This record gives sequence, structure tokens and C-alpha cells, in this order.
Amino acid sequence: MTAKTMTRDGRSGLHDALSRLPGWVWWALAIVIAGVFPLLNVAGLVETAWLRVGVISLIFVMLSLGLNIVMGETGLLNLGYIAFFAFGAYTTALLSSPKFGLQWPFLAVLALSALVAMVAGFLISVPTLRLRGDYLAIVTLAFGEIVRLTITNLVPLTNGPNGITGIYPPALSSSADRGAGGLAAWLVIDKPVEYYYLVLVCVIVLAVLLTNLKNSRIGRAWNALREDELAAVSAGITASRAKMLAVVLSAGIAGFAGSLFAYYSNVISPESFLFMQSVIVVCMVVLGGMGSIPGVVIGAIVLQALPQIIRQAAGAARSDFEVYRMLIYGILIVVMVIFRPEGLIPDKIFRYESHEVDPRELERTRQSLFDLEEGEKDLEV
Amino acid sequence: MSLDHIVSVTIGGLTVGMIYALIALGYTMVYGVLKFINFAHGEVFTVGGYVAAFTLLAVGVDADSSPLMLAGALVAALAVAVLVPMVLGFVIERIAYRPLRGRSRIIPLLSAIGVSIALQQLIILIFGSKPVTIPTLELSSASVGLFGVRIRVLALVIIAVSALLMVGLTYLVKSTRIGKAMRATSQDMEAAEMMGIDTNRTIAFTFLVGSALAGIGGLLVVMYYGSLKYDAGFLYGLKAFTAAVLGGIGNIPGAVVGAIVLGMTETYGVSVDLGFLAWFVLAGLVLGLYVQMVHVPRQRVGHISPDRRTPEYEQSIVNVYRLTPYHGVRVLMAERTDALLSVSAAHAMRLMMGNVFLAAVAAYMFVNASARIDTRWQPVIAFAVLMVILMFRPSGILGEAITEKV
Repeated sequence: MTAKTMTRDGRSGLHDALSRLPGWVWWALAIVIAGVFPLLNVAGLVETAWLRVGVISLIFVMLSLGLNIVMGETGLLNLGYIAFFAFGAYTTALLSSPKFGLQWPFLAVLALSALVAMVAGFLISVPTLRLRGDYLAIVTLAFGEIVRLTITNLVPLTNGPNGITGIYPPALSSSADRGAGGLAAWLVIDKPVEYYYLVLVCVIVLAVLLTNLKNSRIGRAWNALREDELAAVSAGITASRAKMLAVVLSAGIAGFAGSLFAYYSNVISPESFLFMQSVIVVCMVVLGGMGSIPGVVIGAIVLQALPQIIRQAAGAARSDFEVYRMLIYGILIVVMVIFRPEGLIPDKIFRYESHEVDPRELERTRQSLFDLEEGEKDLEV
Repeated sequence: MSLDHIVSVTIGGLTVGMIYALIALGYTMVYGVLKFINFAHGEVFTVGGYVAAFTLLAVGVDADSSPLMLAGALVAALAVAVLVPMVLGFVIERIAYRPLRGRSRIIPLLSAIGVSIALQQLIILIFGSKPVTIPTLELSSASVGLFGVRIRVLALVIIAVSALLMVGLTYLVKSTRIGKAMRATSQDMEAAEMMGIDTNRTIAFTFLVGSALAGIGGLLVVMYYGSLKYDAGFLYGLKAFTAAVLGGIGNIPGAVVGAIVLGMTETYGVSVDLGFLAWFVLAGLVLGLYVQMVHVPRQRVGHISPDRRTPEYEQSIVNVYRLTPYHGVRVLMAERTDALLSVSAAHAMRLMMGNVFLAAVAAYMFVNASARIDTRWQPVIAFAVLMVILMFRPSGILGEAITEKV
């Protein structure tokens, strides 16, 4: 309701009409586009390489949705987020590859991967959550690097830099049943299209869950903590519990995504869990809009799919492509935080704070708040 | 552990520590003034090392160039290694940090990460992704005998130069006009402005000094190791930041102390037997037990409000710390209504977990007394130190001297 009253006059008719569309229309459109896209591949219109881009992009959508919980909703910067992804990926790789000759059922491995990441998230959050923002960022960075270096050095368990190869494809049926053919043979996910739909379904379910969570009591507690921890605690929120829940949940999502990633890519090595990857996920959240679920989805797709599309379109892979890509990411973060800190598709709160409201009015509000905070009102009287 | 081994390891640790200190000073000064972590500082250091190396290569020095030419080349490299990072630091502050002043803590940190990533890629684009290597010079390979050990002259030069620079910096901050402005700005920016201090200029100056020190650090690293990789700044930067936090961020002598402690820890960690290191862990355990059994209970008992203070209540707090887990669990389960008791119980649990962990590590080390930590794990040592110090004593060894507003 406030959005409508606050909209300034003189907007173009189309813009107005578009902004009046209910949210579900956009969601439905996005799901239809995402759902139809692989059919083009099945029909032979696009190459399978595009489908791979799609799967990886969707996995990164999951990751940035997870990071958004801590970074966007709760306001805790995590620079080692990829470590939880690594926990999930390695759990899957160890339980479902020739490395130890294990092939646990797909769903069990998926759940266990998320659980391992959650336990890691819990263990790291117990001693660190008392730290203030910037220190927390550095501790999580150190944690991420320790995890990566440990994976690299712990050769007997992880094969070190060579990584673990030959991860079995996810199967919903046992191998004996598959040999008999029939329905059981259908329940193996080993083609890119199948992976794509598997991940897509997971992403949609996750987005719905997180949207509901955001509007729940817990989500509001997180937002309150982000805006003003002292006020939130005074209002009866248990800061440590709410923050821990955010960290554990986001770790679980990363572990889940890591498991899907390991299944999909067949091979995992420490290369996939560099600090840069954490930064890329942070970029996605910042670009899309911290705390905004559609924003984060768009941010992840833009930053993961767009470079691949450009790369494919440009033909041969240039060796310094990755360098330019990271260079642009770096500059992008700086430009975003300076000029549009609320992101491409801002969350409601940020939008009210920045663009929909008349800047002068906002300035007045801010000034009065600031005055109250600093106690300058008393001086003026 | 023979004496000459100890001497050479100590000199090695001191050398590394001094290089960390040069970089750590930039972190700590900027933190002192702006209260934010200049994540891009490590890259400024790399740029310093790269431009110095390329100057040496451009002049064309090698093992048999004349002393005069060598001296000239070194002066040129030094000048470049100071000036280029200074300009870089100044520009970064102007473009990426100044517009964000006064925003919440993580926003400038994000910007700094962006700058750091961008700079690293720029280094690859300009200088290539292969490490830059300088020819072996007589100067960098010469060694002298000290207590019967061969020590590289360059190590001693690095220690001396760094010590000199630190003395100079202390003089600058303590006794000059601009140093006074820096201290005032870090204490309270608004008040400093009211007193007529140009805080923008002071902050820019802080960045100039910090970047110059990092640049010199880059030159010394290139001379000492003979090569530098484009991503070296990430690890050096983090280690230097660790050193700054270890000593108490914002605290200039603290950064030096922290850097030396870190350099020593790292070097000793991988060059002596576990059996020797175990004694340090054991000392840590004794300290930890003292904290849990004596220090913290005494502090907590002091927190009891006067109207509730009874000998039994005091004793129950002390018991929670001394007799965990039994009392701790009982308190957690049954007496949640008493805030001080339940907070103490949770705290005691954490302390005890820490002590148990230390005891386990010490036991493991004594059992495997003759083993050594592989050098592959060396970066992990620094990260672990960083995590432990941030978790247990974020204010560092010497405390955050100049950061907190009064």
C-alpha cells in the first residue's frame, strides 16, 4: 500500500502497468522460461553446452539463495561460504564413488551432505557469532581457507589436488533393479536434461520455502537483527539463536547444492572451492540485492550465465577470459556498493529507503533519526 | 634442538615477521583511522614487489654487474616500489572508500574486496600470470657466520631496515604535526574536524604511508625469495592482517609485536619436532586451566549484585567453573531462571571444550614427538592463529590502543 502512495507522478504508463502486476506473474514467467529452455535442447535447437551452463547457473542460484540468508537477511558477511559447499560436495563424493567403494542411496547422500555442512556451520558459529561484522567476515574467510587447504593436504581422504573422480550418477533405484530394465532404469539421473530439471525443482522449492521463511517470525527476527541488533534484542529476539539458525540453514543449503554439484560434475577437486568462488557468490547477492529473493536469483543468473553466454558466443575460449571476468566482478562490486547498494531488484525495505521515496523526504527522515541518535535535538531546543 | 638450529630458525622467523610487520602497519593505521579493513592492502604490496622486480629487470642487473650499477638499480627499484604503491593507495582511497565513509562496517569491506579482486586481475593483465623472477645477485645470496651458523646478509638487512622504518613511523605518529592529526582523527573524526584538522587530507596521508611501507615490503620479499606471484598479496595480506589483529588492531607497536609472534610461530611450527612444540601447547593448557579455574570465576563473582551476594551463591558460581560438566549440565537443565548462573555454565562449557582440545593436541604431540608439521600446512597455521585470536581475544595481545571512542 505504501508503495503505491509513494510512487512519484510522471512515470511512463508501461512502467506503471508492469509494476502493478502481482508478484506471482513474474515467478510464473520465470518458471515457464526456465522449464521450457531445456526442451529446446531436446528438440535439437540448442547445444547441450547451454544446458550445462543452465545447470551450473541453477546450482549457483541455490548457493546465493543460501548466502542471502546470512548476508542479506541477517546482515552477517560470510567470506568462506564456499567451504560449506565443499563439505557437501566431498561428503557426496566419498559416499558415492569408487574411492571407498561406497554407493549410498541418492536421497540419503543428499540429506547427509546437507547435514554435514550444517554441523560444520553449527561448530563454526558457536564461537564466532559474537564477533562484530568485519571480524566475522575475516574469521569466515580464514575458515574457508583452512577447509580448502585441509582438503588439499589430506591426501588419504580426499586425493588432494587430484580430487575425487568417478562419482556415480544419482539413482532412485538400486542397481539390481535397473538391470531388469523397466521403470527402475528410468530412475537414474545421468543426462544433462535430467540434471537440469532435478536442480530446477530443487531451486523452485527452495525459493518458495525461503520466501515463506522471510515473511515468517524468524525472517522478521533476522531482518530486525540486521537493522539494529540492540533494538532487536530489546524487543525479545534471542540474537545468538536466530543468528545460529541463519548460519546453519545457509550452510545446509550450500551442502545440498554441493552434493548436487558433485553428482553433476562427476569429478571434484579443491580447485572448485577457492576463495574466489566465495567472492563470486557474494557478488551475486550484492548485484541482485541483499535480502531480495528474486534479486538474488537474477544476480546469480546474470553473473554465472552471462559470462558463459558471452564466452560461447565469442567462440573459442580465450585463455584470459577468466581474468577479464574476475576483473569485471571486482569493479562491479565497487560500483554497486557506491551507486546502487540496494541491488538490481531491491528488497522492499531497501527500496523504501532509496528510490521509491522522494529523496528530500528520505533525507528529512534520516536527518531526524540521526539527530535523535546523536542527541542533537537537545542542543537545538 | 641444537643451538645453531635455534639461531637459524629464530632469524628466519624474525625476517618473515618483519616483512609481515611492514604490511601489517598499513592495515593497522587505516583501521585506526577509518575503522575498516583495507582488504586491498595485500595487492598494494604485490604491486610494490612487481614494479620493483621489473625495474631491476629493466636495468638489467645480474650476478656480475658492477657495484655502482647495482646500487643505482636498487635505488631506482626502491623509488618505484615506494611511489607506485603510494599513488595506488591514494587513488583507491579516493575512488572506492571515500564515497562510502560513514556507512555500516561491511559496506566498505565489500568495496575493498572488489578492489582487491580487480587489482589482482589487473596485475595478471599487465605483468602476466607467471611469477616474476629476478636474477640471483651476490647481494641477496651472501651470508655471514653468526654463532657458528650461516645467516643470509639480506635477512639481517631486512630486519634492520624494517626496524628503522618502524622507529621512523613511531616518530612520525608521536611527534609530528601530521601524526598528531592522525591520532586525533582516529580518536574522533568529527571532533578532529571541529579542531580544524583536514581529515580528508589526514586519511589520504595515512594511506600514502601505509602503501609506501607495503611497497618496501614487496621489494624486500622479491629480493629475499627471488620471485613473486600475482596472488602473493592475498596470503601476505591475510597474514599481515592476522598480525595486526594479534597485536591489537589500530595499535602500531602491537602490529609489530603481532607480526613477530606470527612469523616465529609459523617458522618454528614447521621446523621443530612436535615433541618440542608440545611444551608450548602444554603451557597454553596450564594458562587455559588457570583462566577457567581461577581467573574467570573470580571475575564472575565480582559481577554478582550486592543484594544477592551470599557465600553459597558465590560458591555455586565458582563450582560451575571448577566442576563442569556435572554442575554445568545441572545448571543448564534446572536453573535456567538464574541468568548469571546459566550464562556462566555456558561460558564454562566453552572454556572446558577449549582446554580439552588443547590437552588432546598436547597428548597427540607428545605421542608423535619425533614427527614434524609438513610445510604444506604452514598457511593453515596462520589462519588457525587468526581464528583462535579472533574467537578468544579479539582485542589482541596489546589491546586496541587507539580505536575505541571514549
